[in-house]
Amino acid sequence: MNEIQNSIRLLKAGDQKTITAVYKENRAGFILFCSRYPIDGDEVADVYQDAVIALCENAKKGKLDTLSSSISTYLYAIGKYMIFQRLRKKKTSTTVINDEDGASETEFEYEIYDEIEDRAVSQLREAFAKLGDKCKKVLSLFYYEEKKLDEIQDMLGYSNKDVLKSQKSRCIKQLRDLTQNK
Amino acid sequence: MEKEEWINRYFEGILTNAELQQFEEMLQNDTAFAEEVAFHKNVKKAITLNEREALKNKLRKLEAPKANSASRIKWLAAACILIFAGILSWFMLYTTSSDELYAEFYEPYPNTIAPTVRGTDTTDDTTKAFRHYDAENYNEALTLFDKIYDSKGEDFALFYKGISLMELKRYEEAVNTFKELNTNRNVSDFSSESQWYLALCYLKTNNNEEAVKILKKTAEVQSPVQQKAIELLAELE
Repeated sequence: MNEIQNSIRLLKAGDQKTITAVYKENRAGFILFCSRYPIDGDEVADVYQDAVIALCENAKKGKLDTLSSSISTYLYAIGKYMIFQRLRKKKTSTTVINDEDGASETEFEYEIYDEIEDRAVSQLREAFAKLGDKCKKVLSLFYYEEKKLDEIQDMLGYSNKDVLKSQKSRCIKQLRDLTQNK
Repeated sequence: MEKEEWINRYFEGILTNAELQQFEEMLQNDTAFAEEVAFHKNVKKAITLNEREALKNKLRKLEAPKANSASRIKWLAAACILIFAGILSWFMLYTTSSDELYAEFYEPYPNTIAPTVRGTDTTDDTTKAFRHYDAENYNEALTLFDKIYDSKGEDFALFYKGISLMELKRYEEAVNTFKELNTNRNVSDFSSESQWYLALCYLKTNNNEEAVKILKKTAEVQSPVQQKAIELLAELE
């Protein structure tokens, strides 16, 4: 158990070595696991990568803090969820998908975004890349890692919450300015 | 609460149920507020997509290196095999054709010194030597030719020693023997012939350069082997 908790802690911190290790260790098993589903080899690799990304993201959001199973089990479960989402989108088979436990439907608070991006989002992505490091950090922690302002204040060493709030405000304004000038 | 505060708390996920309801109502009634919230949601989406893409690129690289090194090794192995095969076939071609030519042009020189005749004196070394030579007992013939040359210094002994050595496939020694024959006597009964056989020895030992040199000289001098020399020279050039 300790090892799993340790790995999760490292994943939460975004440790590259741990991510690489987890990726390599679970790859073969995942591919085997997916062989029962009607998707081809290339897509399996893609799903695997997405599953690992989801694992890392959820770790950062603190959703793995109370994980009771192993990381592999979690990965397989995410993978299954993602495969079902893809197959549903394709609408090719209605009878083949055998969802024994049905748990794959609702277990994951993970939003899989559509391929098609709207222009507003694309502009924001570009604009975000242009922000300074401080803004990137604050906004990432808040919007991506879903951390509370109190937590961020502690992590980044702000003297008080209002100073942090002002900083965040300014960063948002910058983004707005960058995207509105187009 | 200020609008900004509402939005922060919403994203922090700390609105109470009652507050959430109020939030929903505000979205319905206040267009400016709704737009603001939508903007923040897009910011969240944008950052998320960026982070995911960054990680995806890193993970893709974990897939790729395996393929790279595997195919690079395969490519190297294939290249090595091809190069090796090329060298091997070139070598084989080169040696086979030399061997073929040698086989085509070589034949042991006939016994012109002491043709075996029944009834004559058989204790003479020369006779004995040639008897062995004719019987293809080249080892015995070799020993005797050596003895004859050592004691009498006869040209033919050295010459037939050379041929015997060739028959025994001791080409290096044959080369030395024929060379010795040529340096000893500038004019000898066997000069052209020994040159011819010397050239053949060089051919057999894959020393085509030397063979060609000698053949050129031999081709110019009228002798029983001149024609053969011309022909072999043509093959080699």
